[in-house]
Amino acid sequence: MEPTALAFLAAGIGAGLVAIGAGIGIGNLAGPAMEASARQPEVAGHIRLTMIIAAALLEGVALFGMIICLLLTLKA
Amino acid sequence: MALNANIRYRQIVLLLAAGCVFLGPRLAHAADEEGKLDAVAHTADGVYLDFAPFGAVELPRIFLRSDPWGLDVFPSTRSALLSERYVMEHKEDGHAEILHGEALRDAIDHHEHLYAKPKPAQGTLVLDLSITRHLVFGVLAALIVVAIFLGLARRYRRPEDRVAAPRGIFQNMFEALVIFVRDEIAKPCVGPRYREFLPFLLTAFMFILCANLMGLAPYLGAATSNVAVTFTLAAFTFVAGQRKGTKAYWTHLFWPPGVPLPVKFILAPIELVSLIAKHFALALRLFANMMSGSLLILSLIGIIFTINVLFGSLAAALVAPVGVAFTLFITFIKIAVAFIHAFVFTLLSAIFFGMALEEDEHHEEETSAEEQPALAG
Repeated sequence: MEPTALAFLAAGIGAGLVAIGAGIGIGNLAGPAMEASARQPEVAGHIRLTMIIAAALLEGVALFGMIICLLLTLKA
Repeated sequence: MALNANIRYRQIVLLLAAGCVFLGPRLAHAADEEGKLDAVAHTADGVYLDFAPFGAVELPRIFLRSDPWGLDVFPSTRSALLSERYVMEHKEDGHAEILHGEALRDAIDHHEHLYAKPKPAQGTLVLDLSITRHLVFGVLAALIVVAIFLGLARRYRRPEDRVAAPRGIFQNMFEALVIFVRDEIAKPCVGPRYREFLPFLLTAFMFILCANLMGLAPYLGAATSNVAVTFTLAAFTFVAGQRKGTKAYWTHLFWPPGVPLPVKFILAPIELVSLIAKHFALALRLFANMMSGSLLILSLIGIIFTINVLFGSLAAALVAPVGVAFTLFITFIKIAVAFIHAFVFTLLSAIFFGMALEEDEHHEEETSAEEQPALAG
């Protein structure tokens, strides 16, 4: 296969893997957070805050991956 | 009630249909002109303001060149090229040629010069300081924020006004935002010295929010979808935080207590890298989120044209309502994203400030257990 084609393929697969990873991560985060705030609604605000921070950090890692995928397609 | 809901449903369908009509011809035109729709170029920075279908306004070009040194200022790219002091190349089949005279005029008529990188006819280009689209939008966002808050600040001049209830929609809205930043972001995350950082946090929040929301307005763009803008914001966070860093914080960074001596030399660089990576991620997160929203919208609209080319116009007509409906949905998501990412940037900045302000061991444990959310990386 041509190197350019490989780069596009890698970018596509990479974007999919990033989406899977971020999905699993945020899913793992949001589910228990909702459960916790349903059990103890009085700390729901705190849980939401912590959840958003963790989700943002998680998303940051996913976005690093996305940028690399984008660079692969743009520079190929 | 049922009738009312029915009418609303019909209105939404009508709006969607109207959206299809409105979006169709204009983007088809954009796609025709270049032969292909380049989603990245549309969201990227540029040296012109696009007011399609009414045309484009070119922005001033400022170049710093050497041999001989000089600063060249032109009111537009067109005038820079027509003065013959700057030239553009036309690339065809991997072969680049410099355009002159008639060919240059022809290229300008086809708006080719808007995407070209002009080079000086004599000497070499050192810096391209041209005013770009994102710079204009960024300054505009800053001016809007300044105008709003200078006006509002006047209402709090007298001491008795500060305890009085806010009057009017405008003041109520922004007081709620300011109180939100103070009570939900600054107080819990920075700690007892939150007042020192409140001006920075409020400015960052309001500027990012304003810039993000400008990305949703027609003919405007989000300055925060430019990586230079977000890195500058993150650099401000970095400097503002490190400037106030306590002795305990610097000791933790370069001479971590409670570990054997050889480990200290390993830990210090790791801590330093993680400190920089945190701020790097802060910039990249905001940039990528604002960028990806506009890319997604353009891709969803672009899929109609892709299908038009691949499967014919009937398939495209069937896909168009779906594409537009998804675009509408993504636009609503983008409104939420504009607020969330202004919030997230400010929140993470506040957490970094809180880290820089940590005092001794005992105090740190106390605040982290009670107030500071758990955080890694």
